[in-house]
Amino acid sequence: MHELSLLKKGSAGRVVRIHGTDSISMRLLEMGLTPGVSVKMIGAALLGDPLEIELRGYHLSVRKSEASRVEVAGS
Amino acid sequence: MSTRPFTTVLLGNPNTGKSTLFSALVGMPTRVGNYPGVTVEEKIGRYTHREIPIDLIDLPGTYSLSPKSPDETVTVNVLFGRVPRIPSPDCVVIVADATNLERNLYLASYVLELGLPTVIALTLCDAAEKKGISIDADELSRRLGCAVVPVVATTRQGIATLRDMITDAPRFPRRNKINIEQHLAAVDSIHEPAVREAIARYAWIENILDGVVSEHPSTTRSFDEQIDAALTHRLWGTLFFILTMLFVFTSIFWVATPLMELMAFGVDTIGVWLGSILPHGAVRSLVIDGVIAGVGSVVVFLPQIAMLFFFIAMLEGCGYLSRAAFLMDRLLVGVGLSGKSFIPLLSSFACAIPGIMAARTIENRRDRLLTILVAPLMSCSARLPVYLLLTGAFVPNVPVGVLWLRLPAIVLLSMYAVGVIVAATVAFVLSRTVFVGIPQPFVMELPRWRWPQAAVVLQRSYEASVSFLQNAGTLIVAVSIVVWALSNYPFDEQAIEAEISHHRIALKTQLESLRAAGQETSQTAMELTELLAAMETPEGIRAAQKGALQRQSFLGRTGRLIEPLVQPLGWDWRIGCAAIASFPAREVVLGTLGVIYNVGDVDLSKKPGENALVRRLRAATWDGTNRKVFTLPVALSIMVFFALCAQCASTLVIIGRETGSWIWPVITFTYMTTLAWLGAFATYQIGTWFMGA
Repeated sequence: MHELSLLKKGSAGRVVRIHGTDSISMRLLEMGLTPGVSVKMIGAALLGDPLEIELRGYHLSVRKSEASRVEVAGS
Repeated sequence: MSTRPFTTVLLGNPNTGKSTLFSALVGMPTRVGNYPGVTVEEKIGRYTHREIPIDLIDLPGTYSLSPKSPDETVTVNVLFGRVPRIPSPDCVVIVADATNLERNLYLASYVLELGLPTVIALTLCDAAEKKGISIDADELSRRLGCAVVPVVATTRQGIATLRDMITDAPRFPRRNKINIEQHLAAVDSIHEPAVREAIARYAWIENILDGVVSEHPSTTRSFDEQIDAALTHRLWGTLFFILTMLFVFTSIFWVATPLMELMAFGVDTIGVWLGSILPHGAVRSLVIDGVIAGVGSVVVFLPQIAMLFFFIAMLEGCGYLSRAAFLMDRLLVGVGLSGKSFIPLLSSFACAIPGIMAARTIENRRDRLLTILVAPLMSCSARLPVYLLLTGAFVPNVPVGVLWLRLPAIVLLSMYAVGVIVAATVAFVLSRTVFVGIPQPFVMELPRWRWPQAAVVLQRSYEASVSFLQNAGTLIVAVSIVVWALSNYPFDEQAIEAEISHHRIALKTQLESLRAAGQETSQTAMELTELLAAMETPEGIRAAQKGALQRQSFLGRTGRLIEPLVQPLGWDWRIGCAAIASFPAREVVLGTLGVIYNVGDVDLSKKPGENALVRRLRAATWDGTNRKVFTLPVALSIMVFFALCAQCASTLVIIGRETGSWIWPVITFTYMTTLAWLGAFATYQIGTWFMGA
């Protein structure tokens, strides 16, 4: 289990949990990053930040600092 | 017969084609403005169905209904009928994107719980089909207890059915109550309540969609998907991004400029016509120099605003705006902003007004405010005439280093750089001091590539233009009239004649002293002779009178008063005067310099070396001496001042409207003028020291 930001480009994983309860974490949950959902790492911007992931049929942009709250189990 | 119209509310996630659907149902909106007290856009349209008039309210795109942002708060208020002038909705239409139904139903779960008559419009069905997604709309309708209508807004497929469902909705009682509770129980209780609720909702959604949505992704990628892949490619995507931004940026310059000249010409023509029918006097001056000049300075922005919003709407329509923010985020975070500030700031290089208006897309209040505060530092196109004139007249045209680079071009580029560097510094400092706050999420959807809808793009451009005219027009005209009054009163004919003859005598004396020193063929002597000759012609007399009037006016006296303040910048009081007079609009500074130096109307079309203003500026000396005013450091200090100053009433008015408070324009004006003074001071002092060394 590791951070979302450590997922390699092109690989997928399942969200284990979202840490925190502030507005950022709530936003991540509202956008569908709930425990059990499968996510795929699409890539990052030129400077490595933010990250682009695919989940629930759409693409989401998340800053590395925000992605650190997302714990995934790689597959 | 009911007197109040049937009220329908349209809501949904962003990027679902809601605007296209609104257009398909209604055409042009009948009312566009802001909800009271907030800068959330209110958009209402009307259509008739089965002879019933129906008001359709387009609410801003939201992802949930938890009141975290003004958009969400307004949506909740409208749904509960708490907004004055907007009755409780008779029907709620949830626009749901068929290609990612799971996330879209999150918002729907909140809305369905309210128990209002609801219809779900399933949009982007064509895109879903291409992705191999098929949805059993009937089964979904049964499970949710409300009508589900698949639509393709672009081809108007399903629109007729949707209209029927909307009108019929109040007649059908809500069948199933949304049952989140059973899922809530299944969620691990170590989570906080809010977290548990979010998890439970998605569990409910997955349960509802089980068996309703089936995916058979095709092996070949559609054309749209190929474009998408190219745009997100790390290298090609970034390259495309840079090219697109360059294209937008240069188009504004090259296309908007002739249009602006056309508008200016139109305004001038009206001014000339009015000048021919009005007798000379105060009324004529008020109408032409006050009202027409004021209206002109507003109207002349229109092509740029329309064009900029056209481009922004295009980028938004194809989903590229978010992509731009994504690519620029890291860079902007470094200075305390965020990726969403990029387009507003880029737009501000053409004109800060649409740039500041474009900052509405930034939901984070702090980021939005910070962006608005630094946007005016991006050297807008109104500064360009000032740069071009002063650079052309006072910067020696020498090559620098590499063969094709010349000093004037370097100076010009430096002026732009000054604005950017100062803006970055200001943003950085403010974000660490005054604006330190709770970090806000930059969690942002990256929509797929899609083709923009002409109707929506044109409509957005039109709405932005109208909004600008309404907001800026009245106040700017008022400010222009005030400045006119300050620069034309007090009016004392005798004092003016006295000043003119005094000036004539002073010039003659100077010429005599040059002749006595045997320098009657020098450049200065030629210029003096020319000046004296010009003062004999009718136009010359009128220009001299106008110049004298301005110097004696409140404006002129204020200029003299602040002379000690501007001397450290290397300026004489006339330049200070022009700087004050340019408060309504920056370009006015050249016109004012022209009047104060008795040139009359400045003809900017002639090349800088040729035109009268440049010659007069080059000849200008400090009162009572032969020392030239305009040296290279002075020219540079003027440019730096104008690069950093807030001499644009329109911008300040827009800042006031967009932030909802007059304190921010005051703060903007104060900090920018301070920085402008400091920058001009440093430039002049360092420049003079450098030249002397």
